[in-house]
Amino acid sequence: MLIFAISDKGGTGRSVTSTNIVYRHALQGNDVCYLDFDFGSPTAGAIFSVGSVARGTTRKGLHDYLLGEGAPEPHRVDVWTESDREGLRTKPPGAGRLVLLPGNEGGGELPAVEEETLRRCVQLFSRLDEEFDLVMVDVSAGRSFTAEMVLQATVRLPSVPFRWLVFHRWTRQHIIAADGLVTGADGLLDAGTRFGHDRNALRDRIRFVRTAVLEPDAAELVGLRDEQRAWLFACDTELRELASRHKVGRTSMLGKIPLDPILQWREQLISDEDVLASKIANAETAAAFDDLAKKIVDDAAWEGL
Amino acid sequence: MLVMGEVHTGLLQNSGEIPESTCRDVLQLLSGERVRVSRRPIVYAVSPDLLTGVDCRLPSASQSRIRGAGTVLSRSSITGGRVVQGSSFTRIERSGSDRRQPWSHYLARPGVVEVLGKVKSRDLADGFAEDPPADGLDLGAISARFLDVVQSSPLLDRRAPFKIARTRLRWVAEEGEPAIRFTLHSEQMRTVRLVHTGEFTPAVADLCEDLALHDWLLTALLVIIERARIGGTPGPEAAVKLAPAVDHLLHLWMPSARVDDVLSAYWESLDRRPGFTRQWQSLVDRVRDQLAVHTLAFLREKSGGGAR
Ligand SMILES: Nc1ncnc2c1ncn2[C@@H]1O[C@H](COP(=O)(O)OP(=O)(O)OP(=O)(O)O)[C@@H](O)[C@H]1O
Ligand SMILES: [Mg+2]
Repeated sequence: MLIFAISDKGGTGRSVTSTNIVYRHALQGNDVCYLDFDFGSPTAGAIFSVGSVARGTTRKGLHDYLLGEGAPEPHRVDVWTESDREGLRTKPPGAGRLVLLPGNEGGGELPAVEEETLRRCVQLFSRLDEEFDLVMVDVSAGRSFTAEMVLQATVRLPSVPFRWLVFHRWTRQHIIAADGLVTGADGLLDAGTRFGHDRNALRDRIRFVRTAVLEPDAAELVGLRDEQRAWLFACDTELRELASRHKVGRTSMLGKIPLDPILQWREQLISDEDVLASKIANAETAAAFDDLAKKIVDDAAWEGL
Repeated sequence: MLVMGEVHTGLLQNSGEIPESTCRDVLQLLSGERVRVSRRPIVYAVSPDLLTGVDCRLPSASQSRIRGAGTVLSRSSITGGRVVQGSSFTRIERSGSDRRQPWSHYLARPGVVEVLGKVKSRDLADGFAEDPPADGLDLGAISARFLDVVQSSPLLDRRAPFKIARTRLRWVAEEGEPAIRFTLHSEQMRTVRLVHTGEFTPAVADLCEDLALHDWLLTALLVIIERARIGGTPGPEAAVKLAPAVDHLLHLWMPSARVDDVLSAYWESLDRRPGFTRQWQSLVDRVRDQLAVHTLAFLREKSGGGAR
């Protein structure tokens, strides 16, 4: 299964959320890999705490591989052995493989989608699908050649299942933008249809994920004045209406991740140790990642809308 | 002088094993020529050898810049309708001259790469275990593509029963006192250094493919057993996870099936140490015991339930 992680805007929490989802999926016993296709700023290494590739690899990364720069195979990082975080450096019993394919340090966006690049992308997906239960691809923000490339690649791999996750924050602007990225002019559906996907079938493979959500009844808000709380409630109700009008509402939402103070301070994986031992992370956050990690492969959550 | 090769082995991307006729059709796509099939003791289908032209740096332990030009022989094969291999090899020979020859010269000597300039056989062989540099001879990349061609065949449904990595076996064969050394490098990478008496024959490549096949089977079985977490998960769950091994792997173990009698001593030596067949057998016993225990528990539960 290929999962493409995209967002309309930058800084929505796409990378932090998608990396935490694959991490949880690995803990659930699946072999997973994470592809950093955000060639302009490949930062997945930092989130997995692999210092040697914190800003992409200096070896043959995905960018070099796709552009055919002398790399028959892109550099792979085994997170369970190469992470600098002690808590990540041993594979827990029952966990699957957790492999990162970093981008290149100083890579830069794809300049176009050449046939040769597309061919390599198809080959890469096809080989990884043979080996991993789940392949998560951080496609970067907005409309890009990278998004076009993976839309085309999946047309050429008709028997490899794929799904899209569109990440957005819980604000007016973000809701409208996330909808626009999918249904707007030259959005995912337009572009996908142009490349040969069936519009409705593609739509069924797209779900939204809300990031850094502050629920009006959250513990963090206990100190608020009644007026503030009432205002937040009204806002939230209004956003819900807006979301359902834009078809970003409950039915097309796969899950939401609460705002977590530690993620506001640092882009990282949230381990059970962070929740149970050091208690720096909220249990709800870890549970939300865990839940999403199950839902991405749960067909019931992906039935036609 | 010496022969270098690399074999990649993986699980055929199909839900079930495919019959002999489909093996033929899948491999036929590679070239119009006839696919060779042998049926005993296991169905083995192989494409004809195809040539890839190379003009590149050759491996060197001392990092010397050695250049070679010529052709590599490659083929794809399917064993038991279930396991697929891409295999490439080439003989490295000294060139009659120091100058690059026209392609017609190299094409007349299929499967030979001629070294331009001075070279030590030992230096080449020692350097071969390393990953090739960007401009180096990369037999692995060629073999991987031969495997890809099979895996992307429209005749396959791509719903393989389990996910599993391909393994790579890089080998180098020289003339001398017979010896063989098999080394595990990473999870997926193995090397074989083999010394044979007399001239190299393609039977050596067959042997390496047979070793690669069985090493992959062993690796895959180990992975499946690890995933099942026998003892760490409830019995029925472990049994479900072991089932693909029974359905798809256990009957494929046929060491030496296609190996020339002259070379079977190499297999025997590897079976003594590291002891491939011994390890395989103990894993198979473990799987069977586990399933038997589970069946017993299941029956006991059923009859107990009936009595109440
Ligand atoms: N659930 C959360 N709670 C609090 N902060 C979060 C949460 N998720 C993400 N963040 C923070 O938001 C910021 C942006 O996240 P991230 O880098 O994952 O976004 P992105 O969409 O990948 O951005 P870019 O487009 O720049 O790659 C980071 O500082 C991150 O730690
Ligand atoms: Mg990011």
